[in-house]
Amino acid sequence: MNDMKLAEKTVDQTDIKFSAKDVQVYYGDNHAIKDVNVDILDKTVTAFIGPSGCGKSTFLRCLNRMNDTIDICRVEGNITLDGEDIYDPRVDPVQLRAKVGMVFQKPNPFPKSIYDNVAYGPRIHGLANTKADLDEIVEQSLRNAALWGEAKDRLQEPGTSLSGGQQQRLCIARAIATKPEVLLMDEPCSALDPIATAQVEELIDELRQDFSVVIVTHSMQQAARVSQRTAFFHLGNLVEYGDTPTIFTNPEDPRTESYITGRIG
Amino acid sequence: MSARTSLINAGNTPVTLRLKKRRRAEWRLKAYGIFAITLAMLALVALLNSVVRNAAGALTESYIELPVTLAADDIDPDATADPKIILRADFGGLTKRTLRAVFPSVKARKAKRELYDLLSNGAGFELAEMVSKNTALVGQDITFRFLASDVADLYLQGSYGALIEHTNHGDLTVSLDGDTATVSSSTPDFQTALDGLRAELLQHSAHLREQAAMQDAGVVEFMRRAEAATDAEAKAAAQAQVTARSAARDALIAQALEQEQRADAGQSGEDLTKSSPSLLINTAGGWIKLTRIEADSGVGEVLVPLKGESSDWSLYTTELPEDARKVSDRQIAWIESLKQAGQVDRVFNWRFFTASDSREPELAGIRGAAMGTFWTMLVTFSLAFPIGVFSAIYLEEFAPKNKFTDFIEVNINNLAAVPSIIFGLLGLAVIIGFFGVPRSAPLAGGIVMALMTLPTIIIASRAAIAAVPPSIRDAALGVGASRMQTAFHHVLPLSVPGMLTGSILGMARALGETAPLIMIGMVAFIVDVPSGITDSATVLPVQVYRWSDFPERAFEARTAAAICVLMGFLIAMNALAIFLRRKFERRW
Amino acid sequence: MVEQHIASAFDRDLEDIQALVMKMGGLVEDAIRNAALSLENRDEDLAEEVRRNDKLIDALEQQINEDCARLLALRQPIASDLRTVLTVMKIAANLERVGDYAKNLAKRTSVLLQMPVIEGSSGAIKRMSKEVQLMLTDALDAYIRRDQDLAEVVRQRDLEVDQMYNALFREFLTFMMEDPRNITACMHLHFIAKNTERMGDHVTSIADQVIYLVTGAMPDEARPKGNMEVYAVPEGAQGGSGA
Repeated sequence: MNDMKLAEKTVDQTDIKFSAKDVQVYYGDNHAIKDVNVDILDKTVTAFIGPSGCGKSTFLRCLNRMNDTIDICRVEGNITLDGEDIYDPRVDPVQLRAKVGMVFQKPNPFPKSIYDNVAYGPRIHGLANTKADLDEIVEQSLRNAALWGEAKDRLQEPGTSLSGGQQQRLCIARAIATKPEVLLMDEPCSALDPIATAQVEELIDELRQDFSVVIVTHSMQQAARVSQRTAFFHLGNLVEYGDTPTIFTNPEDPRTESYITGRIG
Repeated sequence: MSARTSLINAGNTPVTLRLKKRRRAEWRLKAYGIFAITLAMLALVALLNSVVRNAAGALTESYIELPVTLAADDIDPDATADPKIILRADFGGLTKRTLRAVFPSVKARKAKRELYDLLSNGAGFELAEMVSKNTALVGQDITFRFLASDVADLYLQGSYGALIEHTNHGDLTVSLDGDTATVSSSTPDFQTALDGLRAELLQHSAHLREQAAMQDAGVVEFMRRAEAATDAEAKAAAQAQVTARSAARDALIAQALEQEQRADAGQSGEDLTKSSPSLLINTAGGWIKLTRIEADSGVGEVLVPLKGESSDWSLYTTELPEDARKVSDRQIAWIESLKQAGQVDRVFNWRFFTASDSREPELAGIRGAAMGTFWTMLVTFSLAFPIGVFSAIYLEEFAPKNKFTDFIEVNINNLAAVPSIIFGLLGLAVIIGFFGVPRSAPLAGGIVMALMTLPTIIIASRAAIAAVPPSIRDAALGVGASRMQTAFHHVLPLSVPGMLTGSILGMARALGETAPLIMIGMVAFIVDVPSGITDSATVLPVQVYRWSDFPERAFEARTAAAICVLMGFLIAMNALAIFLRRKFERRW
Repeated sequence: MVEQHIASAFDRDLEDIQALVMKMGGLVEDAIRNAALSLENRDEDLAEEVRRNDKLIDALEQQINEDCARLLALRQPIASDLRTVLTVMKIAANLERVGDYAKNLAKRTSVLLQMPVIEGSSGAIKRMSKEVQLMLTDALDAYIRRDQDLAEVVRQRDLEVDQMYNALFREFLTFMMEDPRNITACMHLHFIAKNTERMGDHVTSIADQVIYLVTGAMPDEARPKGNMEVYAVPEGAQGGSGA
């Protein structure tokens, strides 16, 4: 059974999408992320696991420069996307965030209609010239997020009128509407019930045909189910990074084994 | 295994006692709350009650319709048909002549003054205006509705007491002798009035006796002191007091006795004075004021000439004596006869809303003040709202968080608590003095009010912006919106309800401010309606303040009515705030 | 299999391991048939083929074990999914043993071919191995169809196989007592019969797993064991050295 092989096609995941070298992150004086080296592959789901406060969310937010909004946060080291340094002063974070989409823990649709939620990103980035183009983008994004069937008759209703799982899928649709190359997901299912969680995980499995997905999760079982590569963070360090089946059947580092078997917090 | 405690509370266990104590405390808290609210409601009801009741007097105004001869000689001798010339003709004199024509028997100067006092000073001007607009009327005989004076209007409203009719059974015979009339009735119809007078005398004497008793008590006290006094000076002073008070007491008792004697004096008549309610007889279209009555007859003065003879007659008493009211008996008689002829009309007082300020209460309206308020509020809003909202956005979304911005925030909070009159001083010194903005103009008032409202708007807007959850901002940033786009596309629309509420509440406060506007001079007597922000103006609260100072009684009702209008504006603004908040509130 | 899992990959994984086990079952069925056939027809080449193909069977068992371990780690199956994985592993183990016995049969056949034929033995053995082969087919059918009743029937049929073994055991004893020159051949044949009987036991074990998969509990009653007779001491066989 080869997890890398999907029903119809084999995906090539040997391209490196994000390359992080010697990344340090400081919150004021607190050295939160220490010496992280990791290569995120394209068309792959990479999971970041680790106990609370180990820095996985912080590192995730470095990948789309969301940490810029926090004044006391300082990032050192080298992070490149397709070979280009994303912290280069010539890089506009706004452009970066169109290429690297993000989905958050608590579903946070804009208090606008479903249509406007999805259309907002393409609008501000000028991805659609006519209304017809925009309609097309919205429909495509909702289809890819497995929400079109449930939403096509209620596009003008507010996004907040959907259920929790649907709202999260709306946020995913919103994130993929700007045609990103990478999708970052920060514990996307922690606020959802098991059925909605399973639906979102199935969606992630489909999305990896087109994007590289990085998912931070508290649930190791989720990482096991959904990802092909897993990185284990502990106290700001990247302890182990490898293929998911290997990590979960025979990890190399004893700390990894202790964490995933539930022997340490 | 520890002992299990039952959930059902019964008996006197410590748990039950604690429960009882807690319940009592909760009950007390509820009681305090209800008590406080009830107190507040009572105060509100009392306020509304008094204001609305007073304002009822300004609801109507009275007109007296009289026939006027618009003689060309008086108005337009040269037959120019020029409105300006017509306007300058002596319509005041014409009005007076008109009145004299209706009551030709009025001769004495004081009586004539009272007659002219039936109509408003502005009535003549209204006639002039009408004729000047319609010059074809010159030379014709018309009937014109003259505005009644404030005194006549107050009487017609019943503010000076009603005219109480007595039942009378007998036939009246009247014999005239010039202005004096002797009346007699076949039945003792004046007995009730007589009894009333006597009762009054007795009441007065009882009052005098009370005062005498007080003096007597003083005498006793001082006599005691005189006895107990140790030194000669005190004793002498006490003795003097005794003497003085005894004299006063005796005088009072003498007066009382006199009154009682008068009251007792058989069936002989009584004289009516100005300190007792007046008695009037209305018969054959004429009015007689009685100066002396006996049980079945009386002597009086003819106020309005009788037109013939009639055995039908009515007997009236006024509620208040002539001393206690501004409308004289003569004026009452004239008004009543005009009323009987159907020439008196009471209509709704639209003038209150269409006229501007005036020294005469019947001519006064709030239009000038309302327009002044409008212009001032316009300037205030257009300055305070944009500056306030954008400042709040900048401070919350874009400004760096350092000591300097903290300092600014502290100062804004302090400014919100500064007494409003300080802003008035600022306006006077800086805005009018330094920048030379015209004094008493809505521009100056608006700038001062804007400065006063600005901290409120900034604080409310900042709170509204801060209440937008960070998840919305994160979502916007995550999709690739810049900080400007995040602030204006997402945060601002969600904070609009809070901003609007804060702004409208700030504006409502500014609407009712008086002190700072008085300081910058918007308290002058402005008759013209301001048409722009640089014209001199006054505002509603200041108008209320001025009117409340005037002595004329009719202004009381108008002050209360202006207060009602002001409260109406405030309620409308608050209702608007609530409505807008409900409408724009969005769930996130 | 009633509904699909929301995660379709989970369904694919479960189907994959069950497909592997069925494939393995097919190979083992072939092995039994060919081994018996090679004995009946005295076909050296066929016996050789059976021995070679056992490697495939072993490789499949190893792959099944690896895949099941990965599935347990990655999917954390519970309830019927867990029983599916556990039974696949157990059935694969049983199939591997059956395959080994078939290989052993083929090995002994090669040896037997160099000896004279023992009359009347091959027919019984052929019947026995045919019965075991049919039992295996039915057990695998019961597995794929989740048919509890069929599995129960398979369990009962093991009695016959045991009785056939008992008969063969007595027969071989008689042959060996008749003519000592038959001992070698009869020993081999006996082992062949014993192995076939053991194959039947393993197939019964597979049927037990099917019942466990369907009901969640292992079958209560002990399997009918019919081979207690072999542990009885016959007359005339006492004596010898020792007491």
